[in-house]
Amino acid sequence: MTFQLGKSFRRWIPSLLSFIILFSCQRSSGHGDGQTFRVNLGTEPPSLDWSLATDHVSFNVIANLMVGLTEFDKNLKPAPVIAKSWDVLDGGKKLVFHLREDVAWSDGKKVVAGDFEYSWKRLLNPKTASEYAYSLFDIVNAEEFHQGKIDESDVGVQAVDDTTLEVRLKHPAPYFLALSTFEITYPQRRDVIEKYGTKWTDPENIVTNGPFLLTLWKHENEIQLKANPHFFLGKPAIEKVEMLMVTEMTTALAMYEQGQIDFLDKDSIPILEKPRLSKLPGFQYVPQLRGEYYGFAVDRKPFNDPRVRKAFAMAIDRSVFPKLLRGGEIPATSWIPPGMLAHNPKIGLVYNPPEARRLLREAGFPEGKGFPQVTLTYNTRDNNKIVAEAVQGMWQRNLGVLVRLENQEWKVYLNRLLTDPSPVFRAGWGADYPDPDNFVKLFASYSPQNYGRWKNSRYDQILEQAGRELDERKRVRLYDEAQRILCEQDVPIVPLFAVTESTLLNPRYTGVEYNSMGRMLLSHVQLKPGGGEK
Amino acid sequence: MRNALRTQFSRSPAFLLSFIFIVLVTIVGFFAPALSPYPPGGFEEQRILEAPSHDHWLGTDELGRDLLTRILFGARVSLTVGVCTALLALFVGTLYGLVSGYAGGTVDNLLMRIVDIFYGLPDLLIFVLLSLFLGRNIAGVLIALGFISWVRFARVARGQVLQTKELLFVEGARAAGASHARILLLHILPNIFAPLLVTLTFSIPAAILAESTLSFIGLGINDPYSHWGTSWGTLAQDGWRAMRSYPHIIFFPTLAIFLTILSFNFLGNGLRDLLDPKAR
Amino acid sequence: MARFLLRRLAFGLAVLWAVATLTFALLRVLPGGPFDRERRLPPEVMANIEAKYHLDEPFLAQYARYLKGLASGDLGPSYKYIDRTVADIVADTVPASIFLGVIALALALALCLPLGVAAAAWHDRWIDRACVLLATLGISLPNFILGALLIWIFSLRLGWFQARWGTPGSALLPAVTLGAMPCAQLTYLLRSSLLETLGADFIRTARAKGVRESLVLFKHALRNSLIPVLTLLGPLFAILVAGSFVVEYVFAIPGMGRFFITAVTDRDYPLVMGVTLVYTAILVCANLTVDVLYSVVDPRMRSR
Repeated sequence: MTFQLGKSFRRWIPSLLSFIILFSCQRSSGHGDGQTFRVNLGTEPPSLDWSLATDHVSFNVIANLMVGLTEFDKNLKPAPVIAKSWDVLDGGKKLVFHLREDVAWSDGKKVVAGDFEYSWKRLLNPKTASEYAYSLFDIVNAEEFHQGKIDESDVGVQAVDDTTLEVRLKHPAPYFLALSTFEITYPQRRDVIEKYGTKWTDPENIVTNGPFLLTLWKHENEIQLKANPHFFLGKPAIEKVEMLMVTEMTTALAMYEQGQIDFLDKDSIPILEKPRLSKLPGFQYVPQLRGEYYGFAVDRKPFNDPRVRKAFAMAIDRSVFPKLLRGGEIPATSWIPPGMLAHNPKIGLVYNPPEARRLLREAGFPEGKGFPQVTLTYNTRDNNKIVAEAVQGMWQRNLGVLVRLENQEWKVYLNRLLTDPSPVFRAGWGADYPDPDNFVKLFASYSPQNYGRWKNSRYDQILEQAGRELDERKRVRLYDEAQRILCEQDVPIVPLFAVTESTLLNPRYTGVEYNSMGRMLLSHVQLKPGGGEK
Repeated sequence: MRNALRTQFSRSPAFLLSFIFIVLVTIVGFFAPALSPYPPGGFEEQRILEAPSHDHWLGTDELGRDLLTRILFGARVSLTVGVCTALLALFVGTLYGLVSGYAGGTVDNLLMRIVDIFYGLPDLLIFVLLSLFLGRNIAGVLIALGFISWVRFARVARGQVLQTKELLFVEGARAAGASHARILLLHILPNIFAPLLVTLTFSIPAAILAESTLSFIGLGINDPYSHWGTSWGTLAQDGWRAMRSYPHIIFFPTLAIFLTILSFNFLGNGLRDLLDPKAR
Repeated sequence: MARFLLRRLAFGLAVLWAVATLTFALLRVLPGGPFDRERRLPPEVMANIEAKYHLDEPFLAQYARYLKGLASGDLGPSYKYIDRTVADIVADTVPASIFLGVIALALALALCLPLGVAAAAWHDRWIDRACVLLATLGISLPNFILGALLIWIFSLRLGWFQARWGTPGSALLPAVTLGAMPCAQLTYLLRSSLLETLGADFIRTARAKGVRESLVLFKHALRNSLIPVLTLLGPLFAILVAGSFVVEYVFAIPGMGRFFITAVTDRDYPLVMGVTLVYTAILVCANLTVDVLYSVVDPRMRSR
């Protein structure tokens, strides 16, 4: 029965698509009809293949086309979607997902556990060359398969039957479940991908299972989606979505103000316009699981002395950042960002200029005298520049030390961080998945992102322990200790603030879900009651 | 020459005004630290994004810095890049053109083919790549700009040499047994000086334009705390995103760029009329 | 004529090869690679990606591979836009750039003719001065400044033009911005060329014979003055190409030039090279056309 349905579906789809494409060419202008929701993506998504996509623009499109095993609830805990339940077995080393039976692909076929197995193995396949392959390295034999040492059949992910997916891990990993919310773990169709090759993400070929269907992808211009009438959680209230690619913030903002775009996010709101815009009814701040910090090169003078690092940390008045950046940034003295497990604002060094001066004197630089010429580098970006120039001013005022500023283009900067970081450098980190493990591991001695080359064996040890601890209370206590070492005792980094994004929504609408990892979900968007007039 | 210059001044007010403006900008750039009403760096939390006022004639930027000060300091970058690039190109290009034109024959043919290739390059694109490679500092941008602008001088110099080397006094010098270098430097170079000077005057605004464009795109020089300032193009880029609410931040730096380029072009026009009356 | 054409064509290919080599080498020595990320990739992941794009081969082998692909018209894959090749991207973006360039050129030509002729006809009068002033202003106004000014006046203040590309009228402001500089250059050149021709013997003869002044100007002088203008078309295209890359940035036009900037910052090697080569090819073709036209008008050119 289902097979027959699928077949007729497939015959029906091309004509449906051409119909839609034909009519979508008639552009709606001015105020929308209430049935079309228009957002600005900002730029062309580099890829709609969720095994290969790496950036938030691509993921923001994919997240509206697809659903996976789980999704985040309001508290950022994985909640069931395609998986109706799961068991954690074998002391955390085995996960078994039980899938719903009523989830269909857009061509009518059922979503089965085998689609997940295929997708995960495709992600790991060396030939796919996916950047996110390492995310699944906790799975038994995943890394070996990715290195081409063994065959894919030995990898520890397996569809036991159509509704049961079994995952075996190398070691207990409390954060692994959160990965099942991440787009890279969404199911894929082997037949479609093998048939169309790199063109399988084109609107006429792609097969999806989420709230919206991809109807048009006009490169560098716009993407159009339409509500999926057969979506198993119910058809979205909005009939059509237009995702525009207006690169210029000024232009995008003008279009919002003229009623031609309904939703803007950080990529479309110029910093300096925020004070004015924040008074509008559709404006909202959305705190992100993303932190900014300044790191020190701790293996070289003068920052090999913890007293100097502490002095510099205590000479920063973090309360100015939200005033300068105007984005509702949350000043932070500790590293794990607000909204995440084990966030603890009481940890860290607070602004204290006299104490900072005392420490610097103790280290042999009274009033900054004799302090060597040091450079603070950051990558070229408006916000970074403003922060750097402000911090430079504070260090000069409070410590008597004038650091040199240098900005570099992003790729040059990354290269420099890895090979030869400057004495003070700017860096940031956004969560892949909302678990503190993701944040504190950054500064483990073996971490590739530990640019300042700081080493503390106690810190490494705590992380190891916390990474396997299934009891949440014990984990929090371990992370508190780790953060004390990081932000109070050794201070290889100075946390500055947690990033907050700004969004602007046409007040006629409600229901845009913009989460703390910058993901924009549109399936619940609808006109406000009575908002359709005008 | 002096009389001609005076006539030119009185004939064309634009020429005179341009000359005065350029001298002024040069002085201002040179003495920027002494002339500036405020320090170029630091930030004033209380005075962010103020419109032009009595305290801040041109207003303040997003960190509360005085815009006038930043523009005064920026003059150093723009002028240095413009003048030095043009001189660098003049030196390299003239030498190349002299040798090519003087040698003639196969050498000339080969050397000019290379110049032709340079003419065929999409120069702004090459400039962007080169300056990224050489670094985003004055020296890097200078060399990158020099690399794409020397060919103009090479063509002018060669053309002039071809005309001059057949002239009687050059033939005479050669007959008297003067060395090639001597003939080139003492006899030919002084006689082709005028067109080179005109080309030089037009190269300066071209270099300023290229540098400010690069900076505007966000790939230019930016180091607000060295004794160099921030390029006018970078200042304009700062103002670009806020153009809607705070147009003064983009207005004044772009005005400075425009007036400087305009002055150099007027100066070039005047000089050309003066040195080569035919071209008028 | 055929030999002349062939020689110019060979030269055009040499230019393309020089650009390909220069950009290829430059890109490889730029610090930072296409897959450097804030989230640094583990070595084994990097190894697989490099193997996919043959980045693990020695430099010369990569260069040879690229040239071989180029010879067969293959511009390679894009590292960033994974689902598309560079050829796809160029095909998607080049129409906007060409459309803009053609309108800008048409505007420039339409405006420079009356200005240049008027300036020459009323030489040294106020009309002449005004035209020269206008041309100098045009030459001195960088694209990005004119673009920003037009956006500020017409889009932000007056709200007349919707700034988004693709809507009716959206090409007007960018085309004016792009066309201003070539227009100024052409006006300048046409004026001086006309002045020179007007002083020539055959014009004097025509005048002496009592031919009407307007006829002298438009029939005799203008026709002869257009030849030097023709030579400027090559450099003019260069100005348009360089300008389009800034104008596309300022007006957010989905053309090829805008891609160049992002491709450079992404270190998308094949995309940067592809865009640079297409621009070079446009210049080569423009110069070739000018050469051919010129050799038709003035056969002596062929021996060069």
